Amino acid sequence: MPALRVDELTKSYGQTLALDTLSFEVHEGEVFGFLGPNGAGKSTTINVVLDFIRPTAGRVEVLGLDAQAHSREIRSRTGVLPEGYQVYDRLTARQHLEFAIESKGSDDEPEALLERVGLTDAIDRKAGGYSKGMAQRLMLAMALVGEPDLLILDEPSTGLDPNGAREMREIVREENDRGATVFFSSHSMEQVEAVCDRVGILQDGQMVAVDSVEGLRDSIGGGTSLRVTVDRVDDDALQAVRSLPAVSNVAVENRDPPTITAQVDGSKTAVLAELEDHGVEVRDFSTTEASLEDVFQSYTTGAEVTAR
Amino acid sequence: MSTEADTGTSRTGTTSSASSVNPDSVRAVARKDFRDSIRSWVFWTLSFLFFMLLVGTTGLLSYFGSDIAAQGQTTEALVGMVQSMTSLIIPLIALVLGWKSIAGERQSGSLKILLSLPHSRKDVLLGKLIGRSAVLSVSLITGFVLAAAVVAALLGSFDVADYVGLLAVSILYGVAYTSLAVSLSSVTRSTTIAGAAMFGIFMLFYAVWNGLLTAFWMLMNLDYIPQNETTAQIALLFNSLSLNSAYQNVLSLVTSMGGFTDQTEMVLEGMFGSVPFYLQDWFSLIILLAWIVIPIGIALFRFDRVDL
Repeated sequence: MPALRVDELTKSYGQTLALDTLSFEVHEGEVFGFLGPNGAGKSTTINVVLDFIRPTAGRVEVLGLDAQAHSREIRSRTGVLPEGYQVYDRLTARQHLEFAIESKGSDDEPEALLERVGLTDAIDRKAGGYSKGMAQRLMLAMALVGEPDLLILDEPSTGLDPNGAREMREIVREENDRGATVFFSSHSMEQVEAVCDRVGILQDGQMVAVDSVEGLRDSIGGGTSLRVTVDRVDDDALQAVRSLPAVSNVAVENRDPPTITAQVDGSKTAVLAELEDHGVEVRDFSTTEASLEDVFQSYTTGAEVTAR
Repeated sequence: MSTEADTGTSRTGTTSSASSVNPDSVRAVARKDFRDSIRSWVFWTLSFLFFMLLVGTTGLLSYFGSDIAAQGQTTEALVGMVQSMTSLIIPLIALVLGWKSIAGERQSGSLKILLSLPHSRKDVLLGKLIGRSAVLSVSLITGFVLAAAVVAALLGSFDVADYVGLLAVSILYGVAYTSLAVSLSSVTRSTTIAGAAMFGIFMLFYAVWNGLLTAFWMLMNLDYIPQNETTAQIALLFNSLSLNSAYQNVLSLVTSMGGFTDQTEMVLEGMFGSVPFYLQDWFSLIILLAWIVIPIGIALFRFDRVDL
């Protein structure tokens, strides 16, 4: 049974299509990165999952239950860090957590939860005076109440400094080790690649790619980018390089000295050997791996991926 | 953890429908709302206001009202005078307290925190109504209880039944306006529109309702509307449906004041054969209760069906 199953989900607001027959699954026990630029429909999807909004067509199942008919039970087994929320100004962190604990009927201790998110110092301060990062930590602590089977984190890194973002990822790993499925939305690949088992990329209300982090890197064919500085450019030599297997996008930058760039999935030395066989002197070379950020960019902007 | 989780699931298990009402949830929301919505000075200011209203009126009565005192009707006179003031003050307080209850949380996004937890939308509405009603009711009770000793000392004679009757009816009146405020707050997305709706409600009962009635009588006197038993009945019925008339009329049910004099009763019997049901005091209690139940009932129905 998948932890989350989105099936042909469509949501339109008048003429605007926010989600267009979106389908994907999140497996039980995995950390799933839900990636897309702002406005792609990530929050709309999460809002349907939590029954904040109703689908125009299609359906969503969470933990094997219909998202609309069994929303209360779903939410009793789910921890949520929503996006675009505001904490209750006049309640302290302790009171926020007491409310969540009472609501979920769990026996957690507010102190222990706030210790985990690093907010112990502010436990009895009113949340109205919190920074965005502190509010985010408080919401994460509320999401952890009752050891949920599913954690839904909508842009959890918002307002966190790099250190806070790292701590947040550690908590995601701990929760995942405990057995929780984590559904983690973000507009930045950097935030998800370190922690996610699989990543789905949403663009204009449609899933344009779902794969493991490695699979995504491979599928884009980015491989390794090779830059070779040579003494001269020879057409025969270029032709020979182009005809090599696992080499693509061979291009020449005409400068002094000229540089040949190519995408290589296999052996780089084969390229260098081919050039030297044609009497071209290799003066220098460097390689770069395509980053996942580039992969993400390529999916969401349509730009071709080339490793830098 | 396990025992708590079990009670959690069994609780949600019994309520299969996501839109059901769960008393535990309602209580949790109401308690949180009571703690969050009220700054302590608001509560004490309101209590002090009601205290002063009672003590001040009593002071005036004991100073100027020697005739009333001689007739032994002091509590009755006090109830009448206080009622004419609370009739205006309670709606203002209730509308101000309830104005942002839902619209404000929806606009700021804190509603997402409430609804990420296992509460149904009905739980949230009822919890809000109870929480905000409690703020007004508890300050009414505090003011009345604190003033009781002073009132009894100043008046000499003190009718507990009349005094408690006024308090009870005033609480119902306050809850009715809170119900209107919370309900209207739930059908709009913006606090600005909600604020306009609050103003509209106030105008409805303080200007429009009476204005319509005056216009009706005028048209009747000018013979644009036939003067007969039916039209007179319609006008009287319309008048008795008003929340403010109900507050005034219901007092005769629980206190010794008001009610018809024998003379009025004879006139009415002469006109209609008997005193119409809608002019009897039990009917005004029903109207008062209807103004609590109907607005929140409509809101419960509607709020379940909208995108948040």
